[in-house]
Amino acid sequence: MAEVIIPIGPQHPALKEPVNFRVIADGEKIVRLELTLAYTHRGIEKAAESRDFIRVLPLLERVCGICSHSHATVFAKGIEEIMQVEIPPRAQYIRTIIAELERMHSHLLWLGVAGHEIGFNTLFMWTWRDREAVQDTLEEMSGNRVHYNMNEVGGVRCDLSPSQVRAALARLPLLEERLKKYVAMLEEEETMLLRFKGVGKMTRHEALAYGAVGPTARASGVACDARHEDPYCVYAEIPWDVVTDTNGDVYGRTCVRIGELRESAKIVRYCLEHLPEGEIRVPAPKVAPTGECLSRYEAPRGELVHFIRTNGTDKVERLDIRTPTLANWTSVAMCLAGQHLADIPVIVAAIDPCLSCTSRLTVLDNSTGTGGMITFDELRRRNRARWQEEERT
Amino acid sequence: MTDPLTEDVVAGTMSTFGTVEHVRKNRFRITTTPDQIRDAVKTVHAALSCDRLVTISTADTRQAFELHYHFTGQHRTLVTVTIAIPRDAPELPTMSDLLLPAGIYERQIHDLFGIVFTGHPDLARILLNEDWPENEHPLRKDWKPDGKTFYGGTPPEGR
Repeated sequence: MAEVIIPIGPQHPALKEPVNFRVIADGEKIVRLELTLAYTHRGIEKAAESRDFIRVLPLLERVCGICSHSHATVFAKGIEEIMQVEIPPRAQYIRTIIAELERMHSHLLWLGVAGHEIGFNTLFMWTWRDREAVQDTLEEMSGNRVHYNMNEVGGVRCDLSPSQVRAALARLPLLEERLKKYVAMLEEEETMLLRFKGVGKMTRHEALAYGAVGPTARASGVACDARHEDPYCVYAEIPWDVVTDTNGDVYGRTCVRIGELRESAKIVRYCLEHLPEGEIRVPAPKVAPTGECLSRYEAPRGELVHFIRTNGTDKVERLDIRTPTLANWTSVAMCLAGQHLADIPVIVAAIDPCLSCTSRLTVLDNSTGTGGMITFDELRRRNRARWQEEERT
Repeated sequence: MTDPLTEDVVAGTMSTFGTVEHVRKNRFRITTTPDQIRDAVKTVHAALSCDRLVTISTADTRQAFELHYHFTGQHRTLVTVTIAIPRDAPELPTMSDLLLPAGIYERQIHDLFGIVFTGHPDLARILLNEDWPENEHPLRKDWKPDGKTFYGGTPPEGR
């Protein structure tokens, strides 16, 4: 049969974000994949060159709605390295706690999406409900569900109060219990076994050759993890393990992410229990000396790299962002070849592609059933009232 | 995991290609020339067992375009190979036949800086929109958006 070009996207019901695939297929088999990612380019690298370090952090959080803390942390730690600023231990711990909570919410989100892609919507409902516990913790700590805005050059902006730490610790047992359930499901749930096993397989050698990063690479037995290779924050001093798997398929990537969820819960618990006292920030200079830094960070989707160059002013000379999804596209294109058309959604979803995300605030009041947009001041007033009530109890 | 690379090993292997710098604890930088870049990358890959290309970073220094090829491997040492190419003739050989992941990074650099990677199988647009004008490379330092040029998207009224 002759080869057929099937265009998918940029607007397509099966895609969560705009991307364009041209799938070259022979019958039901995929021969090749070509892709265009141009639909969400916002010129952030260029915009970063015209903002000072205080204004650039909120901008960088908006590179991605899921791993917003990753982008802010990797940039802040790069600038701190150039300025030779040492941030206080408490700030390091708080950065780590937020980073691992972010990883948990991202992986739970992914697990739900992967379930949805194989038509297993119960899993989607379960994981997204559990994710709410993580989101609530993040919201309590930072005031926000998506863009936490915790970082600044020299430390973090918000301290954790004892009641926040208690509330976060109180939510962990439920999550740990649920994670055990997902581990058990991986072994016996037939839908997951049938649709994940053997799909999108990649050997260790291939994962290295295609430059895969994050859970995608670790599922093929490549133990690459920036937290281990180039430790930052407190990863060098706390107990945790790099999770790898040898299956190499979508099933392996699921195993790795569920394993990482458990590791993250462990790290969050450890950091909350061992949170050192002290300052949360040091005053950092307004300008950075001329310098250069390659800042590496393990985002939920894999290694995130910011190449930062400064020129002695309060702005960056150049900021080069390499997101993990860009690194993983090559592996997707390669491991789709020879697979069935029906497996495209789950193979693509298995790298957890993140093109860009935006979010708006809508509030639904459960007691009155009314909804709509509210002003920021009103939100602040409501939050303050809730805090005061919680501090009393 | 293996032991980190030492300065002696990196300098011994790479000094034929140019200066070797020990940037910080586990980071090395080799500054070489565009003619030698392919051989330098092959050597880093084979002799220093750097099996992963982390990324290719680019910067416009106003005198030249700098390209930094960052590699790492099981030894957890980051080795960077740096070259500078002239701004008026931004051309260099592709690395995508040696290292598959370089292909997508080169497409991105071509899009944003207009650097041509000779021998690349498909140097098509990847980040900028498809109706973006030719020969406009937004990350070049001398690039300024021009009010008269149409940069794609929905055309303004009356055009």
